[in-house]
Amino acid sequence: MNELVLMAHVMFGVACLVTTLWVFVDVLNVSESNQGRIRKMSCATAIFMWLAFLIAGYWYVFSYPVDKAIILKGPWPFAHSFFMETKEHLVILLLMLATYLPIAAAGNLPANQDARRVVLWVAGMVVLLALMMEGDGAMIAMGVKVGLLAGHN
Amino acid sequence: MENTGVSKYTISFGLALALASVANGLLVVAKEKIPAVLAGMQQLTGNHWISHGVIILGLFALFGWLFGQANGGQGIKMTANRLIGALVAGVATGGLIILGFYLIGD
Repeated sequence: MNELVLMAHVMFGVACLVTTLWVFVDVLNVSESNQGRIRKMSCATAIFMWLAFLIAGYWYVFSYPVDKAIILKGPWPFAHSFFMETKEHLVILLLMLATYLPIAAAGNLPANQDARRVVLWVAGMVVLLALMMEGDGAMIAMGVKVGLLAGHN
Repeated sequence: MENTGVSKYTISFGLALALASVANGLLVVAKEKIPAVLAGMQQLTGNHWISHGVIILGLFALFGWLFGQANGGQGIKMTANRLIGALVAGVATGGLIILGFYLIGD
C-alpha cells in the first residue's frame, strides 16, 4: 500500500509537469481558440500539484521515518541530509507557483503580451522546479536501495 | 493593438509568492538553527514540516489578499517587468537559501 501511495505521488508530480509544459507551449501559440484550454490546463496543473503534495505529505509523515533510518545507516546518507531536506522545503515553492499559475493565466492572454510573459515565466519556473523534485526523488529512492543492499552484504 | 499591464490579483499574489518564497528559506534556517523554533513548530501541528507548510501557505494567501486590497481596493500597481523580476528574484533567493543551507550551513 505504501508503495502505491508513493507511486501516486510521482504520477501526479509528472502530470503537473506535463500540464505545465502544455500551458507553456499553448501560451507561445495563444489565440482566442486555445485560451479556454490554457485556463483549464493551468487549473489542472494546480490540482495535480496539490494532489502530489498532499499524498507526499501523508507518506512523509507516516512512512518515511523507516526509509530515513535505512538511508542514514547506508552509504548514501546525503540522500536524506541534502536531497530529502531540500526537496521537502523546495516543494513548497513549487506548490505556490503551481497554485499561482491559474491566477496568472486568468487574464486576456491573446490580447495582452504582459500577461503572457508572466505566465511563461511562472510555467518555466514550475517546470524547472518539478524536474528538480523528480531528480531529488530519484536520489532518495536510490539512497534507500543502496542502504538496503549494504545491509544484505 | 495589444493590451498591456497585468491584473490586480496577478500582481498581488505574485508579490506574495516572492515574499513567501524568501520567508520559506529563512524559516528553514531558523528552525534548523534555533531549537526553540523547531520545538514550537513541532508543537503547533505535531510535525514541524506540516507547521512549516501551513505558515508559508498562510503567508502566501494572506499577503496575496492584503496586496490586492491596497490603493483603496485597486491593488498594488506595477509593470509586468518589475513583477517578473520580483517573482524570479524571490523564488531564486528562497531556493538558494535552502540549497546553500543544506549544502554548506547545516
